[in-house]
Amino acid sequence: MDALMAFLTVFITPKLLLLSALGTFAGVYVGAIPGLSVTMAVSILISFTFSWDVYPAIALMIGIYMGGVYGGSRTAILLNIPGAPSAIATALDGYPMAKRGEAGEAIGVTTVMSFFGGLVGIAVLALAAPFISDFALKFQPRDYMLLAVLGILLVGSLSSGSLAKGVFAGAFGLVIGAVGLDPLTFTERFTFGFEALTGGISFIAVMIGMFGVSEALLQLHTVSAPVIRQKISRIVPSFSVIKKYLPLSLQTSSIGVIIGALPGTGGDIAALLAYDHAKRVTKNPEREFGDGAMEGLVAPETANNAAVGGAFIPMTTLGIPGDAVTAIMIGALFIHGLNPGPMLMIEKPDMFWFIVGSLVAANCFMLLFGLTGLRLFTKIVEMPKSVLFPLIMLLSVVGAYAVKNAITDVYWMLGFGVFGYFMRLYGYPLGPVILGVILSRLLDDNWRRAIISEREDLGRFFEGVVSSPLSLTLFVAVVLIFLSQIPFRATFRRLTRRRSNVKEG
Amino acid sequence: MSIENEQHSGSSDATPGGYENKRRPGEIVFTLVLLAASIGLLWNAYGISGFEKLSAPGTVPMAATGVMVLSVLIILARTVQLKRVMSERLGKHILPWVVVIFVLMLGGIASLLEPLGFVPTAALFLIAGVKILARRGWGFTFAVSLGSLLLIWLIFRVVFTVLMPEGVFPEAEIVQFFRDLTKSGGK
Repeated sequence: MDALMAFLTVFITPKLLLLSALGTFAGVYVGAIPGLSVTMAVSILISFTFSWDVYPAIALMIGIYMGGVYGGSRTAILLNIPGAPSAIATALDGYPMAKRGEAGEAIGVTTVMSFFGGLVGIAVLALAAPFISDFALKFQPRDYMLLAVLGILLVGSLSSGSLAKGVFAGAFGLVIGAVGLDPLTFTERFTFGFEALTGGISFIAVMIGMFGVSEALLQLHTVSAPVIRQKISRIVPSFSVIKKYLPLSLQTSSIGVIIGALPGTGGDIAALLAYDHAKRVTKNPEREFGDGAMEGLVAPETANNAAVGGAFIPMTTLGIPGDAVTAIMIGALFIHGLNPGPMLMIEKPDMFWFIVGSLVAANCFMLLFGLTGLRLFTKIVEMPKSVLFPLIMLLSVVGAYAVKNAITDVYWMLGFGVFGYFMRLYGYPLGPVILGVILSRLLDDNWRRAIISEREDLGRFFEGVVSSPLSLTLFVAVVLIFLSQIPFRATFRRLTRRRSNVKEG
Repeated sequence: MSIENEQHSGSSDATPGGYENKRRPGEIVFTLVLLAASIGLLWNAYGISGFEKLSAPGTVPMAATGVMVLSVLIILARTVQLKRVMSERLGKHILPWVVVIFVLMLGGIASLLEPLGFVPTAALFLIAGVKILARRGWGFTFAVSLGSLLLIWLIFRVVFTVLMPEGVFPEAEIVQFFRDLTKSGGK
């Protein structure tokens, strides 16, 4: 009964419902504006909700997350620029449809399928998380350590073409997370004798710099590019279209939720795998894949929204994020005094059910805003970059300052912004940096706990790893990432190459 | 519009920039800077607790910085072998003047924020930013930048209740003035 009440809180409290709607609306449009990403929006907003109560803050942020994952598909369809990593596969068939003048239909189907996928993901989260939480209580410190390494490695290896660059980014994140006083022995780490560094580097400053400022600086390159006029006709899809693709969407939703639930893999991988699956199971598509096949649109869109619910499973039960956005969400939960992990379900079950309720609300609002407000949409997307990007930079400064009222954080933000700008230019992924920062403490604490319990003996530690099925699985997975890079990367490359072929054609 | 170009710029979270088999201008220098910084950090991590014991506070930092050094070495070995992208220049494709100006302007905001206050600093930044980017008349520049500043100020002061440095701008007095006005209007 308590769980039901917590679930319904967002629906029966007008303020929370309004914030959820506002967040989803903002997410959809932020995701749809080329150059603005959901990662950027969530990063900047976290700092402003810092002083809020936890429920309103979470309702708003979940709305932005859900809306943003969906909104990213719009630029993918209309401009062939995925607004979020999870929309890469959407562009493959969405953009050819838009070029044919079927953008409205593509957006309509995308919206309904995203809603459907989202619901499946949330349902699995609600059913599975309590059991996984119970299971997670049996995890040893070494399992947590291995999970953290696995998460960083997966994001690092899959989010860029170069494993070395991904691994560098993840390790760099771990170092940033370690700056300051060691919580166990109070030894100074990477402080270089500066007192200002003993408190560590603000996670928010790193995040806003990397995802807000660096992105805005890059957009300055193309600021004078002409605004592309959007032509969208009918948007609400017919029932027969929905019915036709429902079986496929059920399959791809399952892929989405499973991939989303794996630590370190999020909507982007889910969408690519679902696209591949659709290609395999669709025998006679009306149009070829890559040429505007509806199946190629349905599959990634259901999968990436199903992965949102899936990604909340490791987040809420283990405290391990799936990708950059979920890493930021975990940061937000930390800021509001929550500790995502198996204890969340035991200590604060209400919070879990509130999160599930907020996801459902955001999913419904996504459907509503996705199918309406076309005129407003074209206006917002056409907003000139020359006004937009100075504003984004100003908001980044305000955001970095607002958390602790410290000007040092603004300088950190700026420094990481410039560094992130060069990282992006030279092909270093930024997701692993944030994952590293978030997981640094968890990895360090659990490594030390694990090795102390084995009396500082590395041999005994590995004996423990080999004798426990769970630890062994995780360890083998870590090793396999290094060994089996080729198939994953080949798939990814094949898909991106196909995409560039589509563009040229 | 060249979509290819935008991809190489890394301007979307989805597509990191760079080329798979070519080297961009300045890439070797950037990699060398990363290498130097990684070695410096590894040395610093060693200084935390050396090889004292496996559970020492410096173990994970040493492992992480060690991984950084190793991966940068691999990246460097690969980068020096690649051919340079001949169509790109450092001053145009990597660090155009507009980016340098905006970084300096952001540094300016950071240093003026506390002494001058949020509203005047933000106004200066927005006016300069919009003027540089939009290259339109002063009327447009002032209207757009001050209008959006007013919007931001209202949203963040009222909805998010964020407190920014007041500086020389009598923000509190203005808020009070409007409060008094609405109160007397209510009577």
